Amino acid sequence: MTASTRGSKTTLRGSDHMALLEVENLEIAVSARGKLLPVVQGISFSVDDNETLGIVGESGCGKSLTSLAIMGLLGGTTVRITGGSIRFDGMDLLTLPEKDRRAIMGNRMAMIFQEPMTSLNPVYRIGDQIIENLRQHQSISNSAARDRVVELLTLVRIPSPSERIDSFPHQMSGGQRQRVMIAMALSCDPKLLIADEPTTALDVTVQKEVLDLMADLQKRMGTAIVLISHDLGVIAETCDKVAVMYRGRMAEAASTADLFAELAHPYTRGLLNSIPVVDRDVEWLEAIPGRVPTLEENLTGCAFHPRCALATELCASNVPATTEFKPGHSVQCHFAGKVAS
Amino acid sequence: MNAMNFLRNAFAGRKLATAGFIWLCLIALAAIIAPLIAPFDPLEIDPVGRLAEPGWPNLFGTDHFGRDTFSRAIYGARMTVIIGMGSVIVALVAGGAIGMLSAYFTRLGHFLMRGVDVLMAFPALLMALVLITLLERSVFNTILVIGIVYATTTARILYGMTLKLKGEVFVDAAICSGAGHTSILIRHILPNLVSPLLVQASFIFAFAQLQAAALDFLGLGLPPEVPSWGNMLSEERIYITRAPWLLIYPGMLIVLSVFSMNLVGDALRDSIDPRFKDDIAGV
Repeated sequence: MTASTRGSKTTLRGSDHMALLEVENLEIAVSARGKLLPVVQGISFSVDDNETLGIVGESGCGKSLTSLAIMGLLGGTTVRITGGSIRFDGMDLLTLPEKDRRAIMGNRMAMIFQEPMTSLNPVYRIGDQIIENLRQHQSISNSAARDRVVELLTLVRIPSPSERIDSFPHQMSGGQRQRVMIAMALSCDPKLLIADEPTTALDVTVQKEVLDLMADLQKRMGTAIVLISHDLGVIAETCDKVAVMYRGRMAEAASTADLFAELAHPYTRGLLNSIPVVDRDVEWLEAIPGRVPTLEENLTGCAFHPRCALATELCASNVPATTEFKPGHSVQCHFAGKVAS
Repeated sequence: MNAMNFLRNAFAGRKLATAGFIWLCLIALAAIIAPLIAPFDPLEIDPVGRLAEPGWPNLFGTDHFGRDTFSRAIYGARMTVIIGMGSVIVALVAGGAIGMLSAYFTRLGHFLMRGVDVLMAFPALLMALVLITLLERSVFNTILVIGIVYATTTARILYGMTLKLKGEVFVDAAICSGAGHTSILIRHILPNLVSPLLVQASFIFAFAQLQAAALDFLGLGLPPEVPSWGNMLSEERIYITRAPWLLIYPGMLIVLSVFSMNLVGDALRDSIDPRFKDDIAGV
């Protein structure tokens, strides 16, 4: 929406204006067998009010870890944040005291999870779960909270909300549960909504409904959304700007219009080519050869070079720096914009 | 209404378990209204009528002090319920707290669960014996000792289940909604443990009876004047040839009750774990 017009050094960072969410040089590492293996390296992006950022990538590229890092769910000993900063509304989330952090979570920033089947507590009625979230952050009477929940369920288009408020999660379908999760996430009017593959577990028609719902709510409330997906189609349709991740690094980042106007990174092109197109008659879909290298594989140079048609010796030895391909369009590739002959 | 449905679900088509459940209800009833149904004072000594055969008015005969065995058995039911409930509460509260906290706070868990492992290395009865010799003989101490013995297994079970629940997405979702540790443990994890806790409670209830009877029999359980089935066995064991009914009645009561509790426990367990549903058809 606004990213393309905002000239800045790296695309997804506002210049002098402080964005709602600013992630800078985020590094996440996994400790395995006494070694620290980096899984996310140097990820930077920002999201502002009313904006939707899409993060795309194959499984295992670190996109979910990035979202978990923002929500502070990487508390374990095996996965931890080793560098960078995450600022929300000017506060550094990584150094914020636990208590202040809890006051923000679910209140000013909320998350929708990938699995609607398991993200609701099976022993609670859905209404009580939403009320629980409400009362965590607001002093509100029980009946007022109930009214608010009915209102929220109406908002996410649950049929006969005043009855369904007393349903248990197992009495609802996957799409309905995801909508309940969205209602819960929206209960305190968050400024930022992180959706980690919110539609992956749903079938296509429901998928569309859920995405439309989120776009609609954004229009109404001005929420900033970070949408994580492996589906470029979904991203193209719903996002203002896109960040493409590959093996923990930001391969390419630009506004959606700029990105699809000219795909600069061979990986992004590969992703797009592997999507079937209805009105084009092709014998074979072009797939990206190989798979994402595992963490144990000691890769030098560009992480994508073993699978890249453009790869040269340079790619195998040197990690490409983030360069500005076009204004507001950054790429990590030695041969940005070049097409394999 | 939920509890009714749960019970109906658990006992439907299980004749033996239903019979066990009814028997336990009778025991519970007897325990509650013991003073109303017991024809005599269970402590009243009658040297003239000692070792009377079962008949009228002493339905189960009298013991070597001339105390009415039937009345003592009725009051014994009371002890059974008190010991069972007490042990269950001690075991579930202590074991549950240890298990849940250990699983939730991993580092603390390393210490606590190793302690539990050490305690579990001792046979249950041996551990109870060691503990009871350190304490005085009283109803409270018996409950405490039995409770501690079964707290270890409870801790183990809840440790595993909490560990699994902790990884569920809804716990992450709760963290994301700003819930603190206490709220997550009590409001989000604990309610998911209610049915396994219920099953565990029914088994502990049964085992506690055996343990209590064994301690009584060894003269280390309840004080001797307290009418309990274990004490009755213990006191009258030398009369087994002269007055076998003194041992048969309390013995039968212990066996029937423990058997019933196990049947009920099985039925409850199967009803929450559908994999067992058709395993032992109708039992």
